[in-house]
Amino acid sequence: MYKLIEFIRRIYVVLLFILIEAIALNYYARSSFYTQAKILAHANSVTGALQQSIFSLRHYFTLRSENEMLAQRVAELENTLTIYREQERQTQTDTLTMAAMDSTMLASLSQYRYTTARVISNTINSSHNFITLNRGRQHGVLVDMAVVTPDGAMVGYVLECSERYSIVMPMLNTEFRTSGKISGDEHFGSISWDGTSPHRVQMSELTKYSEFEIGDEVIASGLSQYFPEGVRIGYVESLKENENHTSYDVEIRLAADMTRLSNVILIENTNYTEIYELENAARSSH
Amino acid sequence: MQKQILYAVAFLVLVMLQIFLLDNIALGLYFHPLIYTAFIIMLPLDLKHIWVMLLAALMGLTIDLLTGMGGLNVIASTAIGFMRPMLLNAAVGHNTATDDTMPALHRLQAKNLAWYIILMVVVHSLLYFLLETLSLNNLHHTLLRLAVSDIAACVMIWYLVKLFTEKIIIK
Repeated sequence: MYKLIEFIRRIYVVLLFILIEAIALNYYARSSFYTQAKILAHANSVTGALQQSIFSLRHYFTLRSENEMLAQRVAELENTLTIYREQERQTQTDTLTMAAMDSTMLASLSQYRYTTARVISNTINSSHNFITLNRGRQHGVLVDMAVVTPDGAMVGYVLECSERYSIVMPMLNTEFRTSGKISGDEHFGSISWDGTSPHRVQMSELTKYSEFEIGDEVIASGLSQYFPEGVRIGYVESLKENENHTSYDVEIRLAADMTRLSNVILIENTNYTEIYELENAARSSH
Repeated sequence: MQKQILYAVAFLVLVMLQIFLLDNIALGLYFHPLIYTAFIIMLPLDLKHIWVMLLAALMGLTIDLLTGMGGLNVIASTAIGFMRPMLLNAAVGHNTATDDTMPALHRLQAKNLAWYIILMVVVHSLLYFLLETLSLNNLHHTLLRLAVSDIAACVMIWYLVKLFTEKIIIK
């Protein structure tokens, strides 16, 4: 009798163990990067404040290099602005062209809206990494906004927002996909991350008709819904033909240092939002 | 009573260390020490098996909820909670661990304690990293991650367990 009770007691722990593992495995099998981002967005309402204060401490140490980069960027923009001012002064002589230019220019300018945010949490040691930003819905951050560094290198896109925080799908997530091309060449390839180095991503399916050299710049192709055409991804580091010898597999050295991000710029494609709303309206009317 | 509070504090401190400090140190892809297992390792040796497993599951769940990993930490830590008596036996041997009138970590010899920590950490992280990548494609890469992370984890957990059992529990 005693042995029987002892046996049931042993079995009881084993049964409970199997039950917990079954539930957890089932949940893990169903979870995707999307559910993960949803849970993270909720968790941030609890842990966000502390994350932020810890990250500001770390941020303090990168201030110097960041300032240098910003100063450089300001100088670059200053230069471009002078060119525009010059052009404007020339066109001002002709009021007719000015009026015509105003409307077209405004339309093209308003396609992208920019806001800034600070990274408060950034993991790089997993195959499904995420970045948390200190801006959320109440600051105008929307799902699907592009995230780039202050000098215009690709980081990722916004996957999920809460009121005050947002979760970014970075390039360093094996689920990340976008489309890229070699600067100055119209052929495009598919960009993804194989999870082996935080400084490299891979471009596959790039046609063999594409002409480029090691060190060439790789940019966003504009075919992806998230990134404006021309956002810098990185530089060609090495290439090889794929198994069927039909296309190139290219190793790309990232332009952004994903291991030390602090301030980022968010870009909203207002046209995309409009197209998306239109598609949704069309879908719901049927 | 006081002991329970100390363990609750240890639980919170380890969760915070893991989430806020270690997961935010960008030392590279290979550095991902899972030190929250220290909690399961330092649970009293005379604690009932069922409680060890449930507390391990709770620890896994807490980490999962805070990092958004869908169940991965629960799977790995429940497993070592369940396997702890066996791993302890393997590391320490029957007579020293269970026949002692008052089983406690600080009574273990340094060598035995080290083996116990290494076994727990390796089993846990093996489950964690293999399930995370869910493929044997980059096996050498996964094994390197495992090695780097586990060496770091074992060293940190060794000092955490020493600190907790020798300085805090016994006063």
